Amino acid sequence: MDKVKVEICCGTACYLLGAANMMNIEDQLPAEWRGKVEVEAKTCLELCEKENLGGAPYVRINGSEIMAQATPEKLLTRIGELVEGVA
Amino acid sequence: MADETLDSLGAAGDLFIEMEAAQFTKTGQAACGDDVRFLTVEMENRHLVALSDGLGSGVKANVLATMTTAMAIEFLKSNIPTLEAVEIIMDSLPVCEVRKIGYATFSLFDFRLGGKARISEMGNPGYIHLRGVDEVPPHKEWQIVSEHWPDREVRECEADFRSGDRIIMCSDGVTQSGLGVRKDMKFGWRRSGVLEFARERIAREPDVSARDLSLAIARQALNITPGACKDDISCAVVYLRRPRVMRVLTGPPYYKEHDADYARQALLGPEHVVACGGTTANILERELGVPVKVRLADMKTAGGLPPVGTIDGIGIATEGILTLGRVLSALEQMRPPEKEPAAARAILERMMRHDRIEFVIGTKVNESHQDPNIPQDLELRRSVVKRIAAALEKNYRKKTALNYY
Repeated sequence: MDKVKVEICCGTACYLLGAANMMNIEDQLPAEWRGKVEVEAKTCLELCEKENLGGAPYVRINGSEIMAQATPEKLLTRIGELVEGVA
Repeated sequence: MADETLDSLGAAGDLFIEMEAAQFTKTGQAACGDDVRFLTVEMENRHLVALSDGLGSGVKANVLATMTTAMAIEFLKSNIPTLEAVEIIMDSLPVCEVRKIGYATFSLFDFRLGGKARISEMGNPGYIHLRGVDEVPPHKEWQIVSEHWPDREVRECEADFRSGDRIIMCSDGVTQSGLGVRKDMKFGWRRSGVLEFARERIAREPDVSARDLSLAIARQALNITPGACKDDISCAVVYLRRPRVMRVLTGPPYYKEHDADYARQALLGPEHVVACGGTTANILERELGVPVKVRLADMKTAGGLPPVGTIDGIGIATEGILTLGRVLSALEQMRPPEKEPAAARAILERMMRHDRIEFVIGTKVNESHQDPNIPQDLELRRSVVKRIAAALEKNYRKKTALNYY
């Protein structure tokens, strides 16, 4: 299985609206998910200026799925679904 | 270009004089008893340094030293003859109740367009003039003695100061370090020890900055007597050289069709470019075809600002306005870079290493910064950068330039 790729936007708006809390998301992964998830910081995903995407902070998952108003909890849940292959 | 004098600065304007000092305060004292002051008289293209060591130590010595440098630098600037200046300084210093004298040493350096430098010294260790690793003697030297103060002899020297030359001036806390403590240094580190140390350092690192060299000398003086700083230590270094230029690119251009031209401003070499802002980094990535990478480890140790990334072969990338805001407050308050979060520290350290800092500012306003949910006010990039440039010039004697896109 390919790793789940998580890109966290570190642009100003995302950082201030919550991305700061996700900088250590890798440490929050349960041991059994380690090695199955690749976390990356992006200087800016340039999504905040687009309308109707739901609002910062943004995280991009597997290159195309956009999570708006991301929180560590929401992100961990979604990563779990992908790792466990439920969705 | 060893034979280049400041005549060519007048013509080409491409030389920079770096003036820096490092100090350590005698252990147990609340204030340093030495003072160093710099002044650039732009209109005359003159660069002045005054270093003084006040009698005794602590606050009293600090007052004497500070009065001396303050007066000396004003007199130098106003072209008051040395004898007159020295007499006024001597007559005005407060007299120590214990020692019944008012006394502070000084070293003054006055460098003018044309490459002529004049050095006046009283009571301090003799200055060191280095061209590469070779010591350059003054081409003229004389003594001045005041009738009021016959025991205070002033040595005056004239020297040719060329591109690549350095002048080192110290308080005796440097040359006498180790005195009476180290058996191998009966008379302390001495001027000859400082000279040897500086030559070795320059041989190893021929373009070592005035900042690094002054700090290395002061640290070495401190380390000769481990455990405590026995006397106030001050070392000032002046270095004449081609300016080190860095560029800070921040913000997307107002017109998108200018992106390619804007990105080309980043082609200055990896040590000298900072892309400040997520969109800025993306423009460089897109236009120059180089990836921006943020190491995972840097995400966790970012210390309150978004992490620092690297742009292969170009430089570093940071977040924009928060990071610039932090850089601004550090520069305005003259806080040392070491204690700042990683991204601000990376920018500040680069700024300290360069002489001329050019800002390339994209003026497009990021609308998402106006989101009412954002918990703090975000200032406009243009005004923050202007204040950064002003602080660099005022507090750090840097040259700056601002270009808008």
